[in-house]
Amino acid sequence: MAPSRTRTIKNKHATNKSGISSSKSSKGGPSDGIVKSKRKGPVLSKQVKGKNIPDLLKKKKKKVYTEKELGIPELNMITPVGVTKPKGKKKGKVFVDDKESMTTILAMVQADKEGEIESKMIKARQMEEIREARRIEAEKKEEEKKAKLDETKESLRRKRKRTKHSSENDDGDGIKEVASAGTKATKAKKKRVSFA
Amino acid sequence: MRQLTEQETKTLFEKLANYTGSSLKNLIAPLDDSPDADRYVFRLNRDRVYYVLLSVANLATSISRDNLGSLGICLEIFASPGKFSKTGKFRLHITALPILAEHARYKLWIKPNGEMPFLYGGNVVKAHVGRWSDDCPSHQGIVVYNMSDTPLGFGVTARSTAEARRLDPTGIVCFRQADCGEYLRDEDTLFAS
Repeated sequence: MAPSRTRTIKNKHATNKSGISSSKSSKGGPSDGIVKSKRKGPVLSKQVKGKNIPDLLKKKKKKVYTEKELGIPELNMITPVGVTKPKGKKKGKVFVDDKESMTTILAMVQADKEGEIESKMIKARQMEEIREARRIEAEKKEEEKKAKLDETKESLRRKRKRTKHSSENDDGDGIKEVASAGTKATKAKKKRVSFA
Repeated sequence: MRQLTEQETKTLFEKLANYTGSSLKNLIAPLDDSPDADRYVFRLNRDRVYYVLLSVANLATSISRDNLGSLGICLEIFASPGKFSKTGKFRLHITALPILAEHARYKLWIKPNGEMPFLYGGNVVKAHVGRWSDDCPSHQGIVVYNMSDTPLGFGVTARSTAEARRLDPTGIVCFRQADCGEYLRDEDTLFAS
């Protein structure tokens, strides 16, 4: 009793959606389901056949693509998703476990690393050389500066000596004046130092 | 548990070659000259790569992945498990130290007063360096020993040997990567992630 009831309920829903006119026919259907299935089967097959024949004729007429070119499986069967192999993709991971391939990989890696380390060392050495050269250059410059400073100091000392010896009456240069002016000589000295 | 792919093997060797010299090829050499001689291979289980005898690895196939805690010597751990082939980010594990120490190219010996700071996870400062391999470039893998030649860990040089000579005593000479203190500090995760 229960299954028959449920069937009627389902059909009622279907009839509401489809329309009133078809409801009568649908109500009659479930009472003898075997008949319905018999009716549906041949109708579908007829339709498929009807569609296929003109399609095939068209294909034959055009003859542009073959089934192989389209990549359609030859038998129209359902294939599970996992079974189909994707085109152009690798099937899985390629493992490396044999001794030969491992040693070749190792040799390649080691050669790379050797080269890397060597280039690093060469670079470091070059940098060290450059630094050394710079240091030496800086030292030279320092020495030159010192020498120049000493020279100017010497020349100034000589000049002062000359002025002391030669002209006590000269009034031309301010420095000479100051230098010759006894008590004010200390001030002149200070100035000279700050200038140097 | 599976074997390594070509790319994975390459990255592994590159990492090892940072620390070791040409003797690394002995790592995968067969144990004797017989045709079916046993040899060491690399196996990947979950997020770890193991260095293990082929015969042992074959025996281990009878244990399921989840139940296999560890086998052989663990060489490296991946930073992001399962993404090795994509990111390639992994680090050498402290358990790889015996292998690295055996084949080390550059070595650094630290004085007794520098042992504890290093074993507590600190970098090596110049004041703690006892001896140092000559001609070592900067950013090069280096194995750290104490003065009695016991390997304590490994790291990466911060300066080349020449540059380090001019460095002040508190200047960092070697960045720590792994040290034996991890056996205590990371006891929980050392053999199981």
